[in-house]
Amino acid sequence: MPYYAKSEDWLHHSSLLLDARPETTIVTTRYHIKPARRRTKAEKEAAKAADAPAPVAEAAPEKPPRGHLVLKTYDPVSGVTLKYKTSKAAEVGRLVQMLGGLGRRMAALPPAEEAVVTEGGAEAMTGVEASGSGTQTPVPAAAAAGAPGNAGGGGKGKKKKGKR
Amino acid sequence: MGQLTNDEFFIKLSELFAARKGKSHGAIYLVQKRFTYGLNTSPEKTSTLPAQPPQPLPILIRATNGKGGESKSEKIKLSTLVDPSELDVFYGRYAEICKTGMGLLKPRDRTKRKAKAKKKKAV
Repeated sequence: MPYYAKSEDWLHHSSLLLDARPETTIVTTRYHIKPARRRTKAEKEAAKAADAPAPVAEAAPEKPPRGHLVLKTYDPVSGVTLKYKTSKAAEVGRLVQMLGGLGRRMAALPPAEEAVVTEGGAEAMTGVEASGSGTQTPVPAAAAAGAPGNAGGGGKGKKKKGKR
Repeated sequence: MGQLTNDEFFIKLSELFAARKGKSHGAIYLVQKRFTYGLNTSPEKTSTLPAQPPQPLPILIRATNGKGGESKSEKIKLSTLVDPSELDVFYGRYAEICKTGMGLLKPRDRTKRKAKAKKKKAV
């Protein structure tokens, strides 16, 4: 039951599993919320240092709960489970795009150009927005793929590209 | 509960996410699988590589709030069928709802990049 460090790896292996067992494989997305921190140790130390003023400890307590996202591909016949875990909001768009790519495989449709585009983060994000507004996805996706190259020189280019 | 239309599903899913907001714990499960009900295929038979079906099949999307056991009465189950021809449109909207609904994930950290950019300019 491996956790993959990269969502691309998860997607790759999930696609392979789905190709092998398209009828039984299911993809589960679990979004769960947990209280931000474990209080045990910090509390103990705070209690210890109760006499002394501790500005750091006082700044920390009111942290909002944090969400986590776990993607799981599971085939009940072979028992294969593939997982990917993240807590970054920036990845959600790309991950749902990946779910869409896997969905195409489930539906026995040929993988679209989008599925290839998913490799690049910036393109995937623009692809999602494009598919939200218009039905004709391949065209805007292709246009978006061309854009970052041109804008690379300017300061206004897709910043996500630099991160990879 | 029967299946919802895609539009109804999206509305209910937004509500499901909204109900999670402001709570300190809990989970939402989203599942997708090929819809094979009534197609007379048993998983045991597919020992060899399964043949490509003649036409594209719909996929089933389910969403639950993961309640069970003692709190089963609070369980919310949603499901919808997505037609193969509507997959792209569906996932476009799905992404939007997930992005807004999963508000407690870590926001993109821009402070580091800004610091880096400053450094670069200074050098």
